[in-house]
Amino acid sequence: MRSLGSVLLALVMLFLLGPFVVIVIAGLSSGETLAFPPPGLSLRWVAKVFEVESFRAAFGVSMLLGVGATLVALVLGVPAAYALDRYKVPGGEAVRSIVTAPIIVPGIIVGLALLRFLLVPLGLPVMLGLFLGHTALLIPYAVRIVSASLNNLRVDIEEAAILLGASRAGAFFRIVLPNIRSGIVAAFILGFVTSFNQVPVSLFLSGPGVTTLPIEMLSYMEFNYDPSVAALSALLALLSLAVVVVAERLLGLSRYV
Amino acid sequence: MSDPRFLSLEALTLAYGGSVAVDKLDLAVRRGELIALLGPSGCGKTTTMRAIAGLMEPAGGRIVLDGRDITRVPANKREIGLVFQSYALFPHMSVYDNVAFGLRLRRVEAGELDRRARAAIASVGLTGFEARVPKALSGGQQQRVALARSIVVEPRLLLLDEPLSNLDARLRLEMRSELRRLQRELGITMIYVTHDQAEALALADRIVVMRAGRIEQMGAPEEIYERPASGFVARFMGFENTFGLEGGRLTGSAGAVAYASAVPAGTRALAWRPQGIALGQGAYQGRVLGASYLGQTVEYLLDTSLGPIKAETPAAQTRYANGDTVPFDLPLATAAPLAQP
Amino acid sequence: MFEKRSIGLALVLPAALFVALGFLLPVGLLLAESFRTPAGWSLAYFTTFFADPLNQAVFLRTLRLGLTVTAVCLVVGYAAALAITGLGPAARGRFVGVLILPLMISPVARTYAWVVILGRTGLLNVLVLKLGLSDEPLRILFTETAVFLGLVQLFFPLAVLPLLSALENLPADVVPAARVLGASWLRVFWQIILPLTREGLVVGGTLVFVGSLTAYITPAMLGGSKVLMLETLLYQRVSVANDFVSAGVISVILIVMSIATNVLLRRLAAGRRAGGAHA
Repeated sequence: MRSLGSVLLALVMLFLLGPFVVIVIAGLSSGETLAFPPPGLSLRWVAKVFEVESFRAAFGVSMLLGVGATLVALVLGVPAAYALDRYKVPGGEAVRSIVTAPIIVPGIIVGLALLRFLLVPLGLPVMLGLFLGHTALLIPYAVRIVSASLNNLRVDIEEAAILLGASRAGAFFRIVLPNIRSGIVAAFILGFVTSFNQVPVSLFLSGPGVTTLPIEMLSYMEFNYDPSVAALSALLALLSLAVVVVAERLLGLSRYV
Repeated sequence: MSDPRFLSLEALTLAYGGSVAVDKLDLAVRRGELIALLGPSGCGKTTTMRAIAGLMEPAGGRIVLDGRDITRVPANKREIGLVFQSYALFPHMSVYDNVAFGLRLRRVEAGELDRRARAAIASVGLTGFEARVPKALSGGQQQRVALARSIVVEPRLLLLDEPLSNLDARLRLEMRSELRRLQRELGITMIYVTHDQAEALALADRIVVMRAGRIEQMGAPEEIYERPASGFVARFMGFENTFGLEGGRLTGSAGAVAYASAVPAGTRALAWRPQGIALGQGAYQGRVLGASYLGQTVEYLLDTSLGPIKAETPAAQTRYANGDTVPFDLPLATAAPLAQP
Repeated sequence: MFEKRSIGLALVLPAALFVALGFLLPVGLLLAESFRTPAGWSLAYFTTFFADPLNQAVFLRTLRLGLTVTAVCLVVGYAAALAITGLGPAARGRFVGVLILPLMISPVARTYAWVVILGRTGLLNVLVLKLGLSDEPLRILFTETAVFLGLVQLFFPLAVLPLLSALENLPADVVPAARVLGASWLRVFWQIILPLTREGLVVGGTLVFVGSLTAYITPAMLGGSKVLMLETLLYQRVSVANDFVSAGVISVILIVMSIATNVLLRRLAAGRRAGGAHA
């Protein structure tokens, strides 16, 4: 029974992690086209990734979008989660459903709907469309994760702070916020990663000159069969690995996934 | 004990989720007094306390503190302290920072802040624990921090919500006397909410017994303990045998018996503690259903023509066995005459 | 203290307005449009859509892939979760890390690894040719098998994580108690462990099934235009033919299926639990 389990887990690990080993090796290829095993190892395609102008531009868009959309989602989501958890909000359950609705709608539909009924009619710039779509998508994550942190925090410590002379806002910033800080940081990391990796929402919202990195990768691989996308994929995987390890060490990210 | 109306609640009405939790409550508290609000859960005592603190808005009535109407004053401007049942310590702050929190909000100058915070910590016996976080303290120590945090800002009134209920029996006794000592030393006015009559009797200058949002009886501990005004208070104070009285007959759950003694006018019920029932002699008879040895005393459950009666006698006296028929008396001297059953 | 409705409202309003105007309104308009034909409100667009054999095939393929991927993820995931719970806490932590890591890595990067493995000159074909299993490279990429493999790898962690927490939340003594009463291991599994972890199965199953139905990257990269699923079909209809009608119909289908799955499976879990009390 035990050895059977060990074999199964070894196979599962191979299936889940093996492809990442493959992509790292493929990205280090010295050959002209994508092949496995590669004819030799070199860093030429890794270097190429940094030279491709469209990758650099798309990376900038994705970073800006990831940070901006996550910050705005938190600025909107934290007070909403706080109010829904602590205050009597008129129609509270309905409001909670509204705020967490974007999580159940497939991203591609969000992108298409925003394009057709918001961006085109109002003539909004591409970047704003991406920003709206990503922020809407991230608000539910922010609300859920912050709600979970608030649930674990006693309400009466705020009352204690107020009776000692703090204002409502003072009690929030001095007492509540420090105690849900790790939840907010976790929400930021997960939100950023979600936005940075997001494809379906961005599909219809990317436009000429303003493309996110994953979309740019998809369109690059349509016309090129060189190992640079593999090299870039390997870089992104290693970057994610670093983020996950650091975040897990700092605040036990796995509790929030 | 000047200023008999240091705090007064006038026709205070509190609604909670659509239903009235406290109905037109009137209460006056003297400066420096320790008042216990006593009652079972749901009687409105905690709600009343929260309204005094400003954590809840009254549906009607006034709260006046030291001559000033504070009914509409926000909680953070009332200068009323509250020790929570859960202690509600700030988990991310050390003992010192917890205690200094209120002083910092009042922008107390650094030297004085340090002196006052350390004095408050010392007064609850926690010197040396300043750097600890709440999680690293025992329940009793957390309780002391909560107390120090509340008194360091010198509130005009200190409210305590079942503050000892999460402590074990030995600690509870210790904290009880310490609370009393602190209250005397600081001369602070306190309202102490509890459902434990022994705690209220031991601590309070005056006890307010509450029931279903109203005051059932108010008075000194001796008065409440010896002369309960109603069946509710009597049962709460240990008068477990309560019988209606009408036309010279006592009425219990099983039936009625004649009762010859002359009772004060207006008495409509009589109640006895188990210790107040005299076993071994008397006009009445009961059959022993069960006996519990309690150490100093033995408690018997008797089946009588009034219904079940609980009686307690010193263990050194004659002992009875299950099934024995025992004569007993219901002496007027040990009875509490009640105006309402 | 927290009774002031106005404060609560003021705090949720910005987020609620943002989502309502920037999300619900456009999505609602998109969905409504699918029911508004020149002849008035009707289901005409849906009947036209489903009359096309290609669309039927894509719809059925999406369902088929969703069901098979979910079944495989749950069965293998359950076995894996059981094996993981048998390990010590340190090893368990490492496995949870192995499960979570892929979730954080760009799906494009994850899926591209399968292009490298399954492609004409990829790892698998090199092995097949070397071992002499075939004379020419197999065509695996751009088949349903490739999409299936990609989806299983993508969603496997989503199946295992809820199962793992369900198994860990089993009341500590039920299994030893049943064993002491003489139940065989299989009996313990069927009558005790499985019913008590039903919620984990429902949560994991919902995540995997809905995820598979609404997948885009995996079918786009591993299936291409030959193995379309609903989302890739939607993108193709819009980008190739500017066919917003079909896109709207597919949107309605996707949303209805997502919500229906969530509701149905949750009902199922709740109903079984209530029924269990009488049994």
